[in-house]
Amino acid sequence: MSTLVLAFLLSVRFAFALTVDEILVQIDKNLTYEARDSSLTMTVTKGTRTKSYKMRSFGRGQDEMAMEYLEPARDKGTKMLKKVDELWMYLPAIEKVQKLSGHLLRDDLMGSDMSYEDLMESSRWQKAYNGTIVAEELVEGRKAWKIEMIARDTSVSYPKRLIWVDQASFIPVRQELFALQGKLLKTWLMRDIRKIEGREFPMKMVVEDQVEKGSRTEITFDRVSFEVALPEEVFSTRWLER
Amino acid sequence: MGILLQLAFRNLGRNRRRTLLTVLTVALGTGLLTVALSMLTGILLDTLKFAAAAVGHVRVVDPEYARRDQLMPLAYNLPDVAAVVAAAEGQPGVLSAHPHIMMGVTGAREDQDIGENFSLLHGAPIAYYTDILDLDVYLSSGRLPAKDGEAVLGETFAAELDVKVGGVVIVLGQTQDGSPSPARLEVVGLVDLGNKNVNRQTFVLLSQAQWLADLEGGATEVLVHTADHDDADEVAAALRSQSALSAYDVAAWNERPPFDSVGAFLQAVRGIVSGIIVFITGLGVLNTMLMSVLERTNEIGVMRAMGLTSSQTRAMFLVEAVTIAAFGGVVGVSLGSGVAFYLSRVGIHLGEAVAKAPAGIPLHETVYPHASVDTVVLAFLLGLAMAVVGGILPAWRASRIQPVEAMRHRR
Repeated sequence: MSTLVLAFLLSVRFAFALTVDEILVQIDKNLTYEARDSSLTMTVTKGTRTKSYKMRSFGRGQDEMAMEYLEPARDKGTKMLKKVDELWMYLPAIEKVQKLSGHLLRDDLMGSDMSYEDLMESSRWQKAYNGTIVAEELVEGRKAWKIEMIARDTSVSYPKRLIWVDQASFIPVRQELFALQGKLLKTWLMRDIRKIEGREFPMKMVVEDQVEKGSRTEITFDRVSFEVALPEEVFSTRWLER
Repeated sequence: MGILLQLAFRNLGRNRRRTLLTVLTVALGTGLLTVALSMLTGILLDTLKFAAAAVGHVRVVDPEYARRDQLMPLAYNLPDVAAVVAAAEGQPGVLSAHPHIMMGVTGAREDQDIGENFSLLHGAPIAYYTDILDLDVYLSSGRLPAKDGEAVLGETFAAELDVKVGGVVIVLGQTQDGSPSPARLEVVGLVDLGNKNVNRQTFVLLSQAQWLADLEGGATEVLVHTADHDDADEVAAALRSQSALSAYDVAAWNERPPFDSVGAFLQAVRGIVSGIIVFITGLGVLNTMLMSVLERTNEIGVMRAMGLTSSQTRAMFLVEAVTIAAFGGVVGVSLGSGVAFYLSRVGIHLGEAVAKAPAGIPLHETVYPHASVDTVVLAFLLGLAMAVVGGILPAWRASRIQPVEAMRHRR
């Protein structure tokens, strides 16, 4: 019994001993994969309208991500490729790969509550933000650090984030994203955390627009695999055109 | 009264140089007023004509679209636009009803990245472009689109993309659900609509825009046109009472922003400009008349002693002022009308300042004054107002002069 108590106290001490930077590095690592192959469904709800998309997504490291739309028929064949700070899109209607730039990156991704920039910025928190642990709270029964993150450079999409990081999995289970003036823009939840091939992974994400009420995007991973060998071609513009 | 008039006219002739100077001041004021009022009327009419043509004398949209007008939400559309057009065209007083789609797109040449240059894309039947917008008149080169895959670009947008007639552009918009929706368009024409902001537009056929927005058989709005934009309120009320249109938002052009405030704004500017000119010219008249009162203090004293009442004294000076204003007004409106008429033919180039005006207020870089009988009469009446403004104080001073003190007064 005394061993158990000692182990508990040590774990608590270890938990508190982590600095914010260490937590953010851990989050970045946790959401970064040597290789990821997943199938997912994105359901976008705007008031009474709902539309679902089926996609296949590949990821490698922090900076490479490729995605192909499988459904609905109109969007089938649309592909996206992110490499570091650049984003390309293959548009089957004009059979062309087009590099996206400028203000377009702030547009909604398929009418969802996420922008193209949300995809680009997803795993650079430690570099982009200064964080402070402001509290420890329970989120859906799980212990989480509540961290206030202020952007080092205000040109990022969200100059301020409040994140709740699950202490067991280092997954940011809840995020509140703010504009420069402090207005809450979006909430982003990560749910249904499962252990897949040795890694903890949120199988569901829910993003809600707090400005346009009734706008909600739900992403459900139907299949995720990390132990895959992805061909080099997947992360090239050749793959987009194929 | 006859003797007062005689005295007034005689007094005007006593210091001819001063009278002439005052007449010229009033002439300059009324002339300026005629030109200024003609110019403001020209801007107002130009705005109304352009606004009515571009946005429809009456517009039928989904109520949610009307609420979020500025965002142009494609999701709130008219799915069966043919039924709405048929209902509107059946209404007496309606000349035409056209389905229309308006959406934001970003454009690029084939060899450019996309996302830096934005355009407002219009999709409408060709009749809307030729009969309502007169787009063929504004073509600076090429022709109007004849089929899907063809577009007319505003000159600003074309210059930003560095594309000419015969070139190809990629436009990327969104479907009503928000999916990216691209089109490869051949540029068949360029238009110069007279304003840099307005020239950042793209015009395609309705079917092309329907494909881009994924709105087959639909449109975001139906634009209804009447014989005169003044009929819009009446026709809008009649359309609202139709059961086929009861689910939609039906509004006359002057009930919608920014046009619900532009007219009042221009009228306010007209009032302010007129007020300033009347005030300044009035000061000129005031100066002359005050000098006249001072010079004639002794004489006024004698006339008051002989029985001229205060009100008769006031009337005499006011008659002098109004007579000056009448002469000056005739000269001023004649010259002003001539200048306004000339400018109405050649136009006044306002330049960049107008191009930077807030989007949605369609002012042209070149303004054509509108000289009309109404404007001339108004300028003349305001010229008389100048005289009254400038003549009241001297007349009042003259009427307060006591005969004994006046006769002691030294020049």
